[in-house]
Amino acid sequence: MRNKLMQCVPVVALALGLPAIATANQELARLSKDPKNWVMQAGNFENWRYSELKQINKDNVKNLRVDWTFSTGVLRGHEGGPLVIGDTLYIHSPFPNKVFAIDLDTKQIKWKYEPKQDPSVIPVMCCDTVNRGLAYADGKIFLQQADTHLVALDAKTGKEIWKVKNGDPKKGETNTNAPHVFGDKVITGISGGEFGVRGFVAAYDIKTGKQVWKAYSTGPDKEMLIDPQKTVTWTNGKMAPVGKDSSLKSWEGDQWKIGGGTTWGWYSYDPKLNLVYYGTGNPGTWNPKQRPGDNKWSMTLMARDLDTGMAKWVYQMTPHDEWDYDGVNEVILADLEIDGKMRPVLVHFDRNGFAYTLDRATGELLVAEKYDPKVNWATQVDMKTGRPQVVAQYSTDHNGEDVVTKNVCPAALGTKDQQPAAYSPKTKRFYVPTNHVCMTYEPFRVEYTAGQPFVGATLTMFPAPDSHGGMGNFIIWDAAQGKIVASKPEKFSVWSGALATAGDIVFYGTLEGYLKAVDANTLKELWRFKTPSGIIGNVTSWEYKGKQYIGVLSGIGGWAGIGLAAGLEGDTEGLGAVGGYKELRNYTELGGVLTVFSLPDEATGGAR
Amino acid sequence: MRRKQWAAAAAAAALLLTGHVLVQQSQAQSGGEKPYKVVDGNKVDPETYNGFRAWRAAACERCHGANQAGLVGPSLLEALKRLSKDEVEQVVLEGRPERGMPPHKNMKTVVENIDGLYAYLKGRSDGAIKPGRLEPIKDSSSAASPSGGG
Repeated sequence: MRNKLMQCVPVVALALGLPAIATANQELARLSKDPKNWVMQAGNFENWRYSELKQINKDNVKNLRVDWTFSTGVLRGHEGGPLVIGDTLYIHSPFPNKVFAIDLDTKQIKWKYEPKQDPSVIPVMCCDTVNRGLAYADGKIFLQQADTHLVALDAKTGKEIWKVKNGDPKKGETNTNAPHVFGDKVITGISGGEFGVRGFVAAYDIKTGKQVWKAYSTGPDKEMLIDPQKTVTWTNGKMAPVGKDSSLKSWEGDQWKIGGGTTWGWYSYDPKLNLVYYGTGNPGTWNPKQRPGDNKWSMTLMARDLDTGMAKWVYQMTPHDEWDYDGVNEVILADLEIDGKMRPVLVHFDRNGFAYTLDRATGELLVAEKYDPKVNWATQVDMKTGRPQVVAQYSTDHNGEDVVTKNVCPAALGTKDQQPAAYSPKTKRFYVPTNHVCMTYEPFRVEYTAGQPFVGATLTMFPAPDSHGGMGNFIIWDAAQGKIVASKPEKFSVWSGALATAGDIVFYGTLEGYLKAVDANTLKELWRFKTPSGIIGNVTSWEYKGKQYIGVLSGIGGWAGIGLAAGLEGDTEGLGAVGGYKELRNYTELGGVLTVFSLPDEATGGAR
Repeated sequence: MRRKQWAAAAAAAALLLTGHVLVQQSQAQSGGEKPYKVVDGNKVDPETYNGFRAWRAAACERCHGANQAGLVGPSLLEALKRLSKDEVEQVVLEGRPERGMPPHKNMKTVVENIDGLYAYLKGRSDGAIKPGRLEPIKDSSSAASPSGGG
């Protein structure tokens, strides 16, 4: 019966004249609803990173042990995580962006793909040569290479089906993001915010690789896919049209052409509203004096129609950025009760230290609160204008070029960077890996040269002062109230993505290399295991032949693992107090390994 | 002997690229004279100061660390003890793309201040220049003459 019904759907769709996206959507939606699979990087379109599986639960997680491991053979930072579809696991590596398909039965490599990429792309990759993982749809594995090539591989054989060029590394354009499949389109962005790249998001047809639309983050309305009359934004307590040339008017001259607003984060999708959500990154340069104006629409949450790319609403979180608070972090979709009313919301933990809850249908601003009490660059977000109330002492624009602004919290890597949070529909809470780091920031004048760094600030970072001395926290967040429910201090930034499960546990990794399981209500640590290297990958779960597995990539790197030490005080200024990230060397070395855990048969308590 | 030939070839390459500065180079190399002037560890001659500014403009600290002690890229404190001026300039201008070092021959600030950049890094490597911010020496009469700037 069910089979017959499934067969009928496309016919019905045709008969009703519905767009063909229904089929691809249904395949992915169906696969993602089966918790045995982990079919997209976040587990579902809503970016939950939640598993319904509960064979591993808070009572037996203490028995979790390594089941098998796999080395990618690559050093440098390993972000993202595996996909699991049926009996096959797909895993990627940082540059050179290898892809492996692994048979879950035999652990044999079914196929391997290694693209040939021009190594000259390596120096134009900011913050390490990471890659945040693969996407799956329609029998294809999608790889977004560092050199901007987007490739569709046959999931069965690893053979290239199509390949398109998404950007130009000679201009500093590279890719680190995972591609995301929504409907019949694969959505991808661009990196290069430190090279004067003009950010955009593009949609490609999953069958052919043909570009369907491309929407810039800055510039003329037409190129941004903004309708001056219909695209709305939060204005004096209500939604109002952005008006003509909203971006152009917020820049001096042609600066929008090298204005940043890159798009290397995690995107989400609401199939009912047919809207795609993502955030745009920092404006270029990091020297705010050099680019007067609000620099729209950098640092902005965007809601775009999947079919046309047209922006339905936009919301700029940090107008005229002065601290490199990229707005690219993930947007998580949930339905929450706010002021006694159920609302379709999105929740976004921004680099700027504020957690935002917006109505995802209308774009209305509902909640904006600090998710680390140490955040000091702004006192609050004015709920009427939606603008942060900047504190002059911490304004690098106010203090000026060649002046060191001290003790700004958070540091440039934000209260949270790309490391994605998890949402549990069971507890209605968000589980957020955070940084607890502050900085000094000195902007200086720079010239733009295509393909060369366009940074214009030098900074130092250190653990948040007058706190627990560590550089991270793992927190539970109530997005309806805008409140921290619980907070667990960590020695280093938590740079791994979290996973919440129906077993009332939450997993996350640490930079020292521990994978930890904590109680979903109290954050009490229940279990830990030291993986081969620091963890900046995201935790995933799947089931195979009746057994639940937990998988995570270890392999230190990324901004936290390498770049962070760049700005460290300590040996420079003899402050000594800042052992900070340097101490990581005492715990870990480079090297990418996927570690897979399960319970011993006797510990599953007959759950099989 | 072989080493000298290599250095000469590299110098010729550097000359081709930048079209200036060879005279000052050899002076710095042969005489054992320091290519920088420094007071109190953080005040330097104008040329070295411009080198420091080029270092910042090219965002070298992203790979080599704010203190030149190395990150994803090698420690320049060590490298500058090993490499000649010609070799350093060759690497800076031409890059070592396969190892992640970008070429800077198209970056005006770097090309124009390549001598100063070398002087700055040498000063850091020698331990004579402190890490962190620098200022130009106030009274410039005693300082080295600024580079022509191409």
